[in-house]
This record gives sequence, structure tokens and C-alpha cells, in this order.
Amino acid sequence: MEFAFTPEQEALRSEVRQFIAENVTPEIVAELEDTGIRRRGPKTREMYKGIAERGWIGISWPKEYGGQAGSRIDQYIVEEEFARVGITVGGAGSGAPAILAAGTEEQKQEFLPGIIRGEISFALGFTEPQAGADLAGLQCRAVRDGDEYVINGQKMYTTAAHYATHIYLMARTDPDAPRHRGISIFLIPMDTPGITVRPLWTIQNNPPAPLGTTYGDARTNETFFENVRVPASCMLGEENQGWYVGAMGLNLDRVGASRYLISIQRDEDIVNWVKDNEIEGVAMREDPTMRDRLADMWIEGQVCRLMTLRSMSIVENDGVFTYEGSAEKVFAPEHGVRTTETIAQMLGPYGQLLNGSEDAVEDGVFAHNLMGAFQSGINHGSVQVMRDQVARRGLGMPRV
Amino acid sequence: MNVLPNEEELMVKNAAREFLEAECPPSLARAIEQDERGYSVELWEKMASLGWFGISLPESHGGGGLPVTYLGLILEECGRAIAPVPFHSTATAALAVSRHGSAEQQQSILPRAARGDLIMTWAVQEQDPRLRADAIQCRAEVDGDSLVISGIKHFVDNFSAAELMVTAVRTAAPSDDNAGITLVIVPTNSAGITETRLTTLAKDSQSKLTMDGVRVPLSNVIGEVNQGWPATSDMLDIGTALLCAQITGAARKDAEMAIDYAKNRVAFGRPIAGFQSIQHLCADMIVWTDGAQLLTYEALWKLDSGLPFGVEVSQAKAFTNDKCQATVRSSQQIHGGIGFMMEFDLHLWYRRVTAWTMRLGTSFEHRARVARALLDQPGEVRLGMNLQPVG
Ligand SMILES: Cc1cc2nc3c(=O)[nH]c(=O)nc-3n(C[C@H](O)[C@H](O)[C@H](O)COP(=O)(O)OP(=O)(O)OC[C@H]3O[C@@H](n4cnc5c(N)ncnc54)[C@H](O)[C@@H]3O)c2cc1C
Repeated sequence: MEFAFTPEQEALRSEVRQFIAENVTPEIVAELEDTGIRRRGPKTREMYKGIAERGWIGISWPKEYGGQAGSRIDQYIVEEEFARVGITVGGAGSGAPAILAAGTEEQKQEFLPGIIRGEISFALGFTEPQAGADLAGLQCRAVRDGDEYVINGQKMYTTAAHYATHIYLMARTDPDAPRHRGISIFLIPMDTPGITVRPLWTIQNNPPAPLGTTYGDARTNETFFENVRVPASCMLGEENQGWYVGAMGLNLDRVGASRYLISIQRDEDIVNWVKDNEIEGVAMREDPTMRDRLADMWIEGQVCRLMTLRSMSIVENDGVFTYEGSAEKVFAPEHGVRTTETIAQMLGPYGQLLNGSEDAVEDGVFAHNLMGAFQSGINHGSVQVMRDQVARRGLGMPRV
Repeated sequence: MNVLPNEEELMVKNAAREFLEAECPPSLARAIEQDERGYSVELWEKMASLGWFGISLPESHGGGGLPVTYLGLILEECGRAIAPVPFHSTATAALAVSRHGSAEQQQSILPRAARGDLIMTWAVQEQDPRLRADAIQCRAEVDGDSLVISGIKHFVDNFSAAELMVTAVRTAAPSDDNAGITLVIVPTNSAGITETRLTTLAKDSQSKLTMDGVRVPLSNVIGEVNQGWPATSDMLDIGTALLCAQITGAARKDAEMAIDYAKNRVAFGRPIAGFQSIQHLCADMIVWTDGAQLLTYEALWKLDSGLPFGVEVSQAKAFTNDKCQATVRSSQQIHGGIGFMMEFDLHLWYRRVTAWTMRLGTSFEHRARVARALLDQPGEVRLGMNLQPVG
């Protein structure tokens, strides 16, 4: 066991923090808060180049695709520091892990360096109106026609589809095969004719959530495919193997820095807030009940941290998750919800004030979290489905 | 950074598990509950021959010289097997001597402890059982080259089995800097000690001691008179970390029994393991136990790395108390009525885990300590940072 990072890794962390202190300007924060542009804002793009130049994106990827062939842990450190200021660098949701694992040489060349430079980003097209937790029931069809596939169907909650360059799409290629064996994955440019993106506004829509909110997105989308023709070379992995390719990417999506921060950032926020703030001269830091609850949250936050580090340790050792990724995806989101609701009862009526309101605490982030935190227990594997996986894969209990 | 046990650590842990599976059936724990001595001499001797008792004591005194983490891994397995031996109390006291004792004390105690020729215990808590210096009221006075002790020590493990106990006594009035505590080695057969056996939920061996003019040589003092609180606190922290290891081992075994039971018990035409509500409860039990184990390992690792580790110990104990209790209670739930029956073994684990969660600090005490470290010193905090304990 070794719970510390190496001195080199600590130095890397300091370097990243310094970069952030110097480069994440109020203008960039404003761009990041604008969910319409996010990474595509001009200042953000400029800064993103600086991140890429330092070799901080895709650190663990092979050199031939623009990576550093470095350690997953280094990459984790960089991702964590950026995620703390609301910036996603590579990692979760990028589609890259699956491309690395299952892509052809051309696909790796086509996508990975572009992801590193911040020029390519993916929306995830998994969920459908009738296929959420039970994703294998998806119906979006891709039919082979010569060297092309023709795609028809609808995807739901395609976050980022309005600014991503590509979509990472799961579609059914064999309707007659057993559910899991008739699915394929496609990597498709969003500007392909026949794709329509419509906004779905979330409960964070108005007022906009401050940066750092858990699920503060004002907007996600539904994406329609009408006779969308794509070359067969868009397929990732083999035909009808998409379920397994997708599962690889998703597993890595459930662990890592941004997932960790979603669950614990408010532990740190509230403790640091309580240290420095009082409400009309009343110091919560002196109230024994509050102290007990704060310590309780903190300890659970440490468990989230350690479960994340355990997942990272497994990945770094080229191990396989049996249940550990799912365990983390049960404990951490539910912890995030417990903390969010505890903070509400600590702040009382101040806790309900949203961004921009008179007397809002920290721009209303705690109030906005109350609209978003529970969402982390639903997507990327709901806590019910994750518990199923712990029980079945981890503990060998039977499928019902 | 790799929070998984490495190969050597796993080897030791697995060897301990195999040995205990062969040598320590639940019937042994059950039998010892009725045994006056309170432990299995036979099992103790077999364990001694494996060198476990000295594993983390210095090589210069016949120990294995390995980090305390190894001891923790073995105690985790002892918890799993609910091994009825006075290992935890001996290890806690021996490490106090090893970390704080004089050369003579180490020389006379550690080689015997490492061989398993010496059973020890620690005695700090009193009628006010809180783990803080000002709760220590048991008085001692220096008289020539002796220390004379009068007062009460409570919840002392394995007293009648032990030959020596490491005791914290008050030699000066309480003060803000926790001076006035003296840590001292007391032979359990000293004149003036009256033992009253307690009947515990775990049905293991705990006693209340009344000391009346108990005289020990000043050379038994660990460190300096009046300056014993830091060593006492260190001993308590190590004892607590090791107890967490023991609890998580026992709770995990208890959870596994529920999972196995669920796979075999049929209701409504199918094994109850097929019901999602049972599956999810089992998933939670494993998640909770994993959390307790990770916190415990981190505390042990910090101890071995020479970092402040008191806050990590308190984190581990508070979480272990609550979540391992929830685990064994859930296991009872899954077992239905049979878990309530004396002849069925499950209660052997349930009662121990439950009792152990109440020892060496409640969840409230440990969380209060975490809160002090977080809130009562300046500076921004972040999960995973090194935090200095406060009080
Ligand atoms: C803000 C946001 C962003 C998202 N981003 C994306 C994205 O970018 N790309 C994408 O593809 N999807 C995205 N999603 C979709 C998300 O992954 C789904 O919402 C999720 O998979 C759940 O599906 P559902 O909403 O259809 O709920 P359902 O599948 O209908 O589930 C409803 C409830 O039933 C429970 N349930 C389902 N099956 C079981 C079972 N077997 N046992 C017990 N309980 C069960 C679930 O746990 C849940 O509590 C996003 C969702 C949101 C809200």
C-alpha cells in the first residue's frame, strides 16, 4: 500500500495549480459559465492550447497519438486540478478510452491528436426515450448500405451535442440478435446532414447555476437522426460488438477526477465556508451538532476519495474491475446528496437562495446543488443498477 | 500511489486467513465464551510459533521489524475468525513500549512479547470513558523510587490473562497542555489491585480494576513522570487503528455469511438472493465495509510513514463504528429468525462487532476530533491533505 503521490507528482500538481492561478481569468470563468459555448469560447480555446502544449491532456496515451505514454495517476492529478475550477481536460466523457481500446489505426490518428488539441469533442449518444438505465433496449437503427450506414432514430439527453464536433453513437445494427449482441458504435461528425439537435432545458435553466454546481447545466438536448448517411469507417470496433466497446468507455467514465469532484467538492466548500463565515454573528463552527455533521460528511468524503484512488490503482495496475467501479458509483453520488441536503439544513433559509439573489451564499451554489446533486445518482449507471452490479458481479448473486 | 495491498502484504494476510480457517473454527470462540481464562492457550501458542506477535516489533528485540500495517492485516484476519486470543491488547501495549519505552523496558519486555511468552494489556479508560487526558482521575504519587497508584481503571481487556498492563495515571492536576499524566507499566499481580469481571455483549474478557496503594518502581514509568499524555494518546491511536482492522475483518466475514445464506435460503419460490432488495442491501454492506477498510489502511499507512495519523484514526473509527454496525445488523436482517438463535453462529460476530464499536472511542468522540482538526486551526482544507490532530 502506498497512499502518497510521488514528489514528482506533487510537483506536477503545483505546476498545474500555478497555471490555473495565472490563466483561468474572470473572462474565462464567464465563458465557462455560458453553457452555450463552454470550451468553444475564444479565450477558453486559447487557454486550452496552453494546456495541450504542456502535454497535460491524454498524458497516459501513447506518444504516437499525441500523448506522453505517462501514468494514469499523473493524468488523474491534472484532471482533478482542472475539474476543481470547472474545466474538463480529456478523460471522462471524451470517448478517448474506447477509441484507444477499440479504434482502428486511422481512427486513432483521426481523433486522438484532435482531442488533445481541444479541436474534437464528443457528445454521448446512448440514451433514448425508451432506453435509459436499460440501455440495451435502444432502438436507433443503423442499416448497412454498400460502404455506408444509414441511421434513423432519436437520442435523449445528449449533453453537449450543441457544441460538440462529434457524437459517439450507439445504434442497433442487428435487430434479430439478442439485445446486447446487435449494437454497434459510430463516431459521427455533428455536421453530417440529417442530424437535428433540439434543446432540452433543465431545472437549472434560470437563473444559471454558478460554476462548480453539480449538474449545473442549463441545457441538454434531444438529437434526431433522419436518414443520416455515414461511411462504414465511422464504426468503432466490430459490428454488433458495440455493447462491449461502450461498456469499456463507460466504466472509465464512472471513475476518475470529475466523478470524484462531483461528489465531494461541497464537503470542502462548506467546511471552508464555515471556517471563515458566520450568519449574523452566529458561528456554526462552534455548534456541536454542526461540528458532528461536518466531520461525518468529511469522513464520507474521504471514503469517496479512497474509493476513487482504489479505482485508479486498479487501472494503473492494468487490473479489471469486478465491482469496485460500481461500488464507487453507489457511495459517492449518494454521499454528495447527503452532504447537499445537510448543508441545506445548516444554512436554513439562506440555503434556498439562487444565483444572483440578494443574500445568496456563494452565488447560490448550495441551492443549485439541491437541483443537481441527485442527478449524479441517475446517469452513467443509476445507483440501483450499480448496486445490481455489485451484487451480481462482485458477490455472485443471481440475476432475477 | 497504490492503495491496494502489495504482494508481500497479501501474502501475510492470506497466510493468516488460511491458518485461522484451519485452526480457529467458530466453535472455539463459542467455547471460550464459557472459559474462565478468557482465551485459547492452544491457539495462542500456535500463533506464537508463527511469529505473528512480534511481526511489527523491532528486529533487535526478536521481532519481525515490519510496518504496523502488517500487524493490522493479521488482526483483520483475527477479527474475521473472531480468534479468542489476547492479541489486540498485547500488541497495543507492546507497541507502546516499543515506541516510547526505555532501553531496559524494551529489553525486558519486547523479546518475550515477540515470542508470545508475555500477554499484556492497556488500561487508560475510567468511569468517564472518554479518551482525553482530563478524564484520567486515577491518582499516583511518587514515593521515593516508587510510584503509588490509587483509583479505578475500567474496561480493561484480558486483565486476568495479562502479566503486565500499560496504565495511564494522574500525577498532577489537569492542565491545558495535558501535563500531569504518567504512563507506567504495572504488573497485574501487584498487591492492591481488585478485579471485577464485566459481562460484555461480546462475552469476552473485560474488567474493572480498583487500585489501592499499588506500588511499582519508578523505573516502570514510560518516559517522564507527568509527561505521559503524548505516549498515551499514541498508544490509544494505535490500539484504535488495530481495533478498526479487527472490526472490518469481522464485519466482512459477517456480510459474506449473509450473502451465502441468501443464495441458499428459498422464499416465494426462489433464493432470496434473487430479490433486488436483498441484493442491494448486500451491495451496501460490502461498500460500507470497503470504506471502513480503506480508511483503516490509510491510517495505518500514515502511522508507518511517520506522518501525523490521529485524524485518520478517528475518521476510520467513526466510520467503522457506524457502518460495520449497520453491516452486521443488515446481516441479521437477511438471516431472519435463525440469526437470533443461540445455536446458529452468526451472533458470535454480531455481538463482537457491536461491542467493539463501543470501545476505544464512540463515533461522536472521534468525529469531534475530526471537527477540531478541520475547524479549530487556520487554513483552507482539502480532502486528502495531512491534518494535524488538535487535542
Ligand atoms: C443532465 C443529464 C445529462 C445526461 N447526459 C447524457 C449524455 O450525455 N448522453 C446520454 O446518452 N445520456 C445522458 N443522460 C441520460 C442518463 O444516462 C439517463 O437519464 C439514465 O441512464 C437513466 O435513464 P432514464 O432517465 O431513462 O431513467 P430510467 O431508465 O427510466 O430509470 C428510472 C428509474 O428506474 C430505476 N431502474 C431502472 N432499472 C431498474 C432496475 N433493474 N432495478 C431497479 N431500478 C431500476 C432507475 O435506477 C431510475 O431510478 C443524461 C441525463 C441527464 C439528466
